Amino acid sequence: MKAYKNVTENYEAWKKAIGLSWIEYLNEIRKNSLTGEWAKEVAKYLIDDEGTRNVKED
Amino acid sequence: MPGCTLIITEKPDAAERIASAISTTGKVKRITDKGVPYYIPETEETIIVVPALGHLYTLTSEKKGRATYPVFDFMWVPRYLAERGAARIRTWISVISKLSDNADTFIDACDYDIEGSIIGYCILKYACKDKEKTAKRMKYSTLTQEEIRKSYNQLLPSLNFALIEAGLTRHEVDWLYGVNLSRALTIAVKNCSGNYVALSTGRVQGPTLKFIETREKQIRCFVPTPYWIIKAKVNLGGSIFQIEYEDDIETKAEGEAILARCKTKEGTIDKIDVNKFQHKPPHPFDLGSLQSEAYRLFRYTPMQTMNISQRLYLDALISYPRTASQKLPSSMGYRDILRKLSKRLEYEKPAGELLAKSSLKPTQGNMEDPAHPAIYPTGELPRRALNGPEKNILDLVVRRFLAAFGEPAIQQSAKVTLSIGGCEFKLNGRRTVQEGWFYFYEPYVHQQDVSLPPIKEGQKVGFKKVLLQRMYTTPVSRYNPASLLRKMEAGKIGTKATRAGIVQTLYERKYIREESIAVTDIGFEVAEILTKHCAPISSIELTRNLEERMYEIQQAKETRENTLKDAIHVLEQVTTKLKENEKAIGFGLSQAIRKAKLEERTVGTCPKCQDGKLVILCSKKTGKRFVGCTNYFENTCKAAFPLPQSGTVKPSGKICRSCGWPIVRVWSKKRHLWNLCLNPECPSKKSRDNIEMQSVQ
Repeated sequence: MKAYKNVTENYEAWKKAIGLSWIEYLNEIRKNSLTGEWAKEVAKYLIDDEGTRNVKED
Repeated sequence: MPGCTLIITEKPDAAERIASAISTTGKVKRITDKGVPYYIPETEETIIVVPALGHLYTLTSEKKGRATYPVFDFMWVPRYLAERGAARIRTWISVISKLSDNADTFIDACDYDIEGSIIGYCILKYACKDKEKTAKRMKYSTLTQEEIRKSYNQLLPSLNFALIEAGLTRHEVDWLYGVNLSRALTIAVKNCSGNYVALSTGRVQGPTLKFIETREKQIRCFVPTPYWIIKAKVNLGGSIFQIEYEDDIETKAEGEAILARCKTKEGTIDKIDVNKFQHKPPHPFDLGSLQSEAYRLFRYTPMQTMNISQRLYLDALISYPRTASQKLPSSMGYRDILRKLSKRLEYEKPAGELLAKSSLKPTQGNMEDPAHPAIYPTGELPRRALNGPEKNILDLVVRRFLAAFGEPAIQQSAKVTLSIGGCEFKLNGRRTVQEGWFYFYEPYVHQQDVSLPPIKEGQKVGFKKVLLQRMYTTPVSRYNPASLLRKMEAGKIGTKATRAGIVQTLYERKYIREESIAVTDIGFEVAEILTKHCAPISSIELTRNLEERMYEIQQAKETRENTLKDAIHVLEQVTTKLKENEKAIGFGLSQAIRKAKLEERTVGTCPKCQDGKLVILCSKKTGKRFVGCTNYFENTCKAAFPLPQSGTVKPSGKICRSCGWPIVRVWSKKRHLWNLCLNPECPSKKSRDNIEMQSVQ
């Protein structure tokens, strides 16, 4: 839950900083070596989950 | 030898030192009875100094068997009755018992702390048959001849029963917690999987694991956010310095805009803020601060530092190390120690300088220990060749002792503000104006100087390079053995003597791993169980409260009975809850153990299918070991690689530099340790073959 919260909450900061889309952001944090193991798993799950992406885009 | 005096010490080394110190001629007769040594110094009256081997007595359940809980009945018994592999203790106790039959005076000369007091008390009570009531006590902080003699001539009339009572309570409470909780976990796994796996937790272990688990969760859930910094290089007086833009920048666009404004090649020094500040001399070491410093400087774990300092203490080179005190009383004779130190070449100058002072007053810390002062060197010369780590710790203790008498060090800092295109950059410099105690603590001082050339406000400065750099916020850092110890100290859990051992146990149980501490799956599961089913036990409050009560027992303000009654009350509730949830606990733990075992054998990702994991396996058919892919069982990958059949093979966690395939570590009697790349076609192997072929040709 905490990992999910961190992933979703930090998107705003990334969007403001480099203007990434939700999926680009998820890919970016998955690649980042500082991202925690559980947060990476959440990011992977969210990337795989098309529905979540659509909801975010809406 | 009827009518003799029997002196009991904690360890053989201490017995020999005490015997030789109280001998009028310095000569000592060493006698060995069934492998147990004891010492007879040359004195007018007959004195026998007999050592223990640490704790000879321990707690055990009154009822036999380890397969049930809760257990609230316990008794003190010789260790050989409670522990496997303690058969030697039987002979030891019988020899002490025999010697005590002929003695009429008993002196407890074990270390003057909780553990030492219990060791002496149990021997006097059980092995010497109720002599604890009449026994006298030696109290000393170093094993030097002068102090031992002084302590022997000024014996305390009785044992410190308040300290003993507090110690017995601590042991009994810890035993109750440890046995009941550990059995609950072990039995849950046994009933679920049929396997016996040693699992443990306890009053201090639980909250310590909780600290690490909380941090591990923060790290695993961490998501970094980007920010930007601007760095530039400037030429000041012919030297190049790196300067940084004053603030962190939140967005890339903002960073690029600032960078564009810095395009001019020349900037100005706008402001120079100069400040002087003092560094107070450090207090002398207590055990915790020595362990921290030894880790910072030499990377010795707290356990290693404790063992090394214990050896130095037994060699009479430093005072008793298991102390919480950061104070040095004036009665210990600072000048005598400094005089002895000044005879050694390496300390001749600094000790001489301190001796030239008209008065000596060390910096004292806040913490006190009623039994012992802070750790200090005795100034004695080593009687044997010390190994590297022993030399390092001794030198550290000596220099810290010297530094405590030093004057404050004064440093001057310069905060320089430079501007270019309206953007402000900062540069910090620092130099030591007055060396003070830094001089005595060299080479262990970590306030390094950053010298700046002569500069003035309004001066023009050439900017060499201006760079925009993307950075990321970082997660909290993992605990290391020293920072974990500090956290335990701050949380007031455990004692100075037990903390390092607790951390060691967490490693041995495989709850945590690596120097930069990470929690394993088993560690997570145990921490989760403690939070879910034993919340009061994993809380710091309970253990802190117990420490306070232990202190009150020492002050005769609380009783052992009350404390034990309360501990049992808490445990009754917790064990009932654990029993109710035994199935779920057993399942969770068994899963974690299975996963951990698989992880121990996992070599890396399969380079063939890029999906499965390569695991060290053993063929049921041939009994030979090999590395295979986990996807073999899914029928999707048939990757398999041979392994050497002799020696020990373990995953290295590394990949081959030449081909990127996983590497295993092999230990064998013939070749000791070597790395083996799993790739049969690895270029590194081919080049080796070529070299071998060429040499044959």
